[in-house]
Amino acid sequence: MDTSELDRLNALLDRDVELREKVKDQVNEFDKKTRTMSGLLNKIHSTPPESIPALLESVRPTLSSCQSVTAAIAELVPENQYWRWKDMWSNSMRTAVFAAALMEYLSNRRLLSLAQASETLGMKAEWSDRMTLPVEDYLHSLISLVNELSRLAVNSVTLGNFEEPIKISMFVKELFAGFSMLNLKNDTLRRRFDSLKYDIKKIEEVVYDVSLRKLAEVPQSTPST
Amino acid sequence: MATVTTSIHDSFNAFRADLDDYNDRRERLIKASRDITNLSKKTIFLLHRIAQGDVGETVSEAELSKKAAQQGYEKLREIQEHYAKLRPELEGDKFWRYQRQVSPGLQEYIEALSFAHYLDHGSLITYEEVQRTLMDPHGVEYFPLPVSDYLLGLSDLTGELMRFAISSIARRGGRKKANQVCAFVRGCKADFERMTPYIRELSKKQAVTAQSLEKIEDAAYAIVVRSSEYDLPPDMLDDIVAQSVSNYNTYGHETRQAGGHRRRGGESDDEDD
Repeated sequence: MDTSELDRLNALLDRDVELREKVKDQVNEFDKKTRTMSGLLNKIHSTPPESIPALLESVRPTLSSCQSVTAAIAELVPENQYWRWKDMWSNSMRTAVFAAALMEYLSNRRLLSLAQASETLGMKAEWSDRMTLPVEDYLHSLISLVNELSRLAVNSVTLGNFEEPIKISMFVKELFAGFSMLNLKNDTLRRRFDSLKYDIKKIEEVVYDVSLRKLAEVPQSTPST
Repeated sequence: MATVTTSIHDSFNAFRADLDDYNDRRERLIKASRDITNLSKKTIFLLHRIAQGDVGETVSEAELSKKAAQQGYEKLREIQEHYAKLRPELEGDKFWRYQRQVSPGLQEYIEALSFAHYLDHGSLITYEEVQRTLMDPHGVEYFPLPVSDYLLGLSDLTGELMRFAISSIARRGGRKKANQVCAFVRGCKADFERMTPYIRELSKKQAVTAQSLEKIEDAAYAIVVRSSEYDLPPDMLDDIVAQSVSNYNTYGHETRQAGGHRRRGGESDDEDD
């Protein structure tokens, strides 16, 4: 190799290193935010239902501040290179979407859609080759949501909220039915999906305990699957 | 409640389509990459075969190499056509999504291409030149060539060159060639060393390159030591070797000595310049 070629290659490689460092800074920022949210949301397990809305309100500013991170990353990533760099932040992204989905469930008892999740994180369609929320990451977040809800089913009973496990059970079953429609190949998503049945079993047991002791009324119209 | 159910149902239907599309494309690209790897390997064999053909009165060493390179380029065109066809699968942001699937075939292709280039020009193919083989007639690239694949492909070239040098040694003019290859591989190793901090797999491949280099160096050493015993010009040595080879062919195989000159010639210096 002559020197000019060597220099050219080194320049290309250096540029990538520099970019990686800049993205890394943003990811650190992102991580801080997601940790804050996880910390706050952990309190749902010890918060009575009437105080939940206030708790969620306290998380919202952090959630919306994630938009500045996604915008900064979209700015940094070169055209068409989303998939080249996404591994750097996909964990933070999944945690953020998980937080958003949990908040949506607790406020409206609804599933946060992919479009809503993207919007919450401030994704813009014109960035899609640089920054976007892929289906796979969104689905990972939903599995985390189920993991968390199975804990909540147990802890809400401890707090004396006997209705919550039943609502959770209905919601999670629907979600599980949705996941069952997917053709998952042998990857982490598949493994995590396989573990969902333990969460469902746990929730079922709580529902069983609660209904057996007539602590809550289980609706009879539960769709049979 | 019913509306929620349908919307979950609908969105998961869409997710299924999305995931299926991804998985199917991924499978197709893995298959294509395997085909390309195969074709590349065949090209490399072809290059070895022709470049080590018999040098006669009429064909010179250099001509053989050129001829090999030309046929190699011809064969590589098949791979370029493959890439042209894959273009829609790798358009836009898709290339980086599937880069891990594309990479093995691409590296193998670069290995074959750089071997042909070496036989043709005696030099290392540049990044620019590789990218130029992956463009349409209008000069639009099928996909951006990753520097890492370029370097990793070249790193594999050193192994081929080792094979090429060692098997050339017994041939007319092969010793000179072995020395050229030796110097060239040494240069490559030094050049790549600078890039290893950037590309993880490259440091692993550097170890293999070091081994290949050592083999060539050992062979070169053995030649110097042995030919020093005869005060003859290289041409005459070639003749003597050629004669014993033809005698061997005539008088049968009793005195078979499997590749004696390939054995390690003794201590070797790890040159690391």
